[in-house]
Amino acid sequence: MRRPPLTRLSLAAVAAAFALGPLALFAGAAGAAPGPFQTTRHNAGTPNSSQVTRDASGQIVSYGNKWITYNAPSPALAQLGQALYMENCASCHGTKANGVPAAGTVGAYPNLVGLGPATIDFWIVSGRMPAADPAAVQAPRRQPRLTPTQAEAIAAWVNSLSPSYPYIPDPHLKRANVATGMALFALNCAACHTIEGDGDALAYSTFAPSLRHIPAYQVAEAIRTGPANMPRFTGNLSDQQVNDIVAYVTRYIQHPQNPGGLGLGQLGPVAEGFVALVIGLGILALVAYWIGERA
Amino acid sequence: MSDVAGAATTKRARRNGAGRYGRLGQVVNELDDRLGVAKGGRTFLDKIFPDHWSFMLGEIALYSFLVLLVTGIFLTLYYVPSSAVVTYHGPYLPLDGQRVTQAFESTVNLSFSVRAGLLMRQMHHWACDIFVGALVVHMARVFFTGAFRKPRELNWTIGVTLLTLAIANGFLGYSLPDDLVSGTGIRIAYSILLSIPLVGTYLAFWVFGGNFPGTAIIPRFFILHVLIIPLVILGLVGAHLALLVRQKHTQFPGPGREENNVVGSPMFPVFMAKTTGYLFGVSGVIALLGAFAQINPIWQFGPYDASRISYAVQPDFYMGFLDGALRIFPAWSFMGFGHTIPLEVTIPAVILPGLLFGLAYAWPALERRVTGDHAIHHLLDRPSWRPKRTAAGVAALALLSALFIASSTDVIANFFHVSLNTVLWAMRVIVVLSPFVAYPITYKICKELQGVHGAGKRKTPNLVLRTDEGEYVAEPTPAYPEDVHQELEPTPVPTFIEEAGVEAEAATPGVRIVER
Repeated sequence: MRRPPLTRLSLAAVAAAFALGPLALFAGAAGAAPGPFQTTRHNAGTPNSSQVTRDASGQIVSYGNKWITYNAPSPALAQLGQALYMENCASCHGTKANGVPAAGTVGAYPNLVGLGPATIDFWIVSGRMPAADPAAVQAPRRQPRLTPTQAEAIAAWVNSLSPSYPYIPDPHLKRANVATGMALFALNCAACHTIEGDGDALAYSTFAPSLRHIPAYQVAEAIRTGPANMPRFTGNLSDQQVNDIVAYVTRYIQHPQNPGGLGLGQLGPVAEGFVALVIGLGILALVAYWIGERA
Repeated sequence: MSDVAGAATTKRARRNGAGRYGRLGQVVNELDDRLGVAKGGRTFLDKIFPDHWSFMLGEIALYSFLVLLVTGIFLTLYYVPSSAVVTYHGPYLPLDGQRVTQAFESTVNLSFSVRAGLLMRQMHHWACDIFVGALVVHMARVFFTGAFRKPRELNWTIGVTLLTLAIANGFLGYSLPDDLVSGTGIRIAYSILLSIPLVGTYLAFWVFGGNFPGTAIIPRFFILHVLIIPLVILGLVGAHLALLVRQKHTQFPGPGREENNVVGSPMFPVFMAKTTGYLFGVSGVIALLGAFAQINPIWQFGPYDASRISYAVQPDFYMGFLDGALRIFPAWSFMGFGHTIPLEVTIPAVILPGLLFGLAYAWPALERRVTGDHAIHHLLDRPSWRPKRTAAGVAALALLSALFIASSTDVIANFFHVSLNTVLWAMRVIVVLSPFVAYPITYKICKELQGVHGAGKRKTPNLVLRTDEGEYVAEPTPAYPEDVHQELEPTPVPTFIEEAGVEAEAATPGVRIVER
């Protein structure tokens, strides 16, 4: 569909703002020696105001608090990660992970530098990357092609190019409050993923995926990094709140309590209407057919 | 058993002493002495019910309404119709400590903490779905067989009113738990009220006692749902059945069935046994659904809050056509005369249902005017005999079904992995085209059926024989005896109440014919 030039220009501007905005946030960290990260409201999930563990060389190994610990991918895996990256990712994202493919065509693929290990890890362990169809509007969750260790290795190498955050989160679900989690889920997540967590189609072939079979740390990764269309929840959700949401998702969304009998796929009135009309009314009509005259 | 020693003390002796009809007979006798129930009772017990199975569909509605009343009374004992905010503390952890309305709290409590509460709630909801579904199917039967024709137009009007009230009351009841999903429905209803031209804002504020959501709406919906509308429904059901008895049943044409008689089974004992069994069947199916299939798990939805919304929310199926119309209608709204004119809401949610139900009300009169047929009809049409009426009915059903499917655009898009926008446009096209495609196809099928000789009759085999000369000859076997027209031997209806010593024939089962 051709749009007027002005519309196209403004759309491009909006797209650019979305693409570059997160990078700009981490621009300060790129290249510079890793140090205490600039603390703002917009970078929850980074080492701000949390307990930081460093190794001998002063690199941050992990940071976090009693709700979520963010662990760096092991730097020892970086070399393996580079080899895996060149094999699986470089054809699109470029050998420098800057989104410039080898042929020299500019800008069609996301720049990975400075995105943080959690983002890299999430896309690979959820099977979205390496992409089955790079032209798809939105990559679906699939059987992962790489193991979690291989994903961590690639994250380690990309992170070594320009250390950035968030690291890979490890939520401490035992401390979570599922009631707060449910309230926050209804407020922040249900508008796309539905209140039952089934996910659904959004506009123009995009979709909110189902939350049914997702490990806890990946839920936290998604909340903190905002993959694809999903907003990146940082400023408005503290680590405690993220932990609560993850606990609600893994305990109740993934294991819904159906004391009333069959859950009917948690599909709500669509499935209920089908059961009432086809099974309930159907059986009764058959009974009527049985006891009545059929001529 | 001996009747000599201690005869007066044995059970059988006491029973014999009480007369031929036992204790019951005595009680009825006593009643007859005082109230004179025998004459009316005889008429009632001899009421003839046609045996065709499609005449039972209305009974599904009647009996599911009974289940609704019984389970509903149970629910009112525990439900608190209040929007007052309290903190929930209970067995369901994700809600523990959340601020919820009393309506929501009491619904969760009656589900989790009241014995059989969840079963009653689920039976109530399943009964509602089956009630409305049965009304629609029953109405379709009446429409396609022409049972609404003179003299039964009034009963048709009552029936359409019952359907409207059932849908409205279903929506009100669905809204009472004040959960996230139903709260969204109330918000949509508020917007629909607002969109009514001129009076919309006043009407919405009057109904809601101010701006949305307010605190008045739950108690108001409650009193409408449990008292006012059920009373009206009950009254109309009574009128519906009284008219049915007064005007007698229609019947399909067949051997011995004429415009001036009714052929079928008497109330007692055949129909009474049948219908009582059916009552148990209906309530049994509803109880099984309530026990084994979960419906409307509000604890998974959480309390309603205007800041929260869940995607992929559909209403119960009977509101689906409205939801679908709202979903697919183009965003036609404009500002003018200092007001917003929200045609995108007014047309699909006010004008469209108004037209559809208006058409249903007006249909008997419209048909009379078009056909010029003012005669009294007791014999039903086969749908294929009236191709235009049948085609019009199927077209309306096709439109409603398409609108209903349009209320799950998101589910379709998600399931088939197609763009939501593609589904939206496809549904717009399908909704507009569906009646125009359904009408000619149905008309053609009806016309074809009219041309099929012996349609509806069982086929008979051809007997292939070889003659002595070796020639093969195919001979059709004669029709089945039941398919051949034959005069029925009517069982005479007794004109007396009962004469002493005469064996009453009232209890003889079998087909009866009575004059109208």
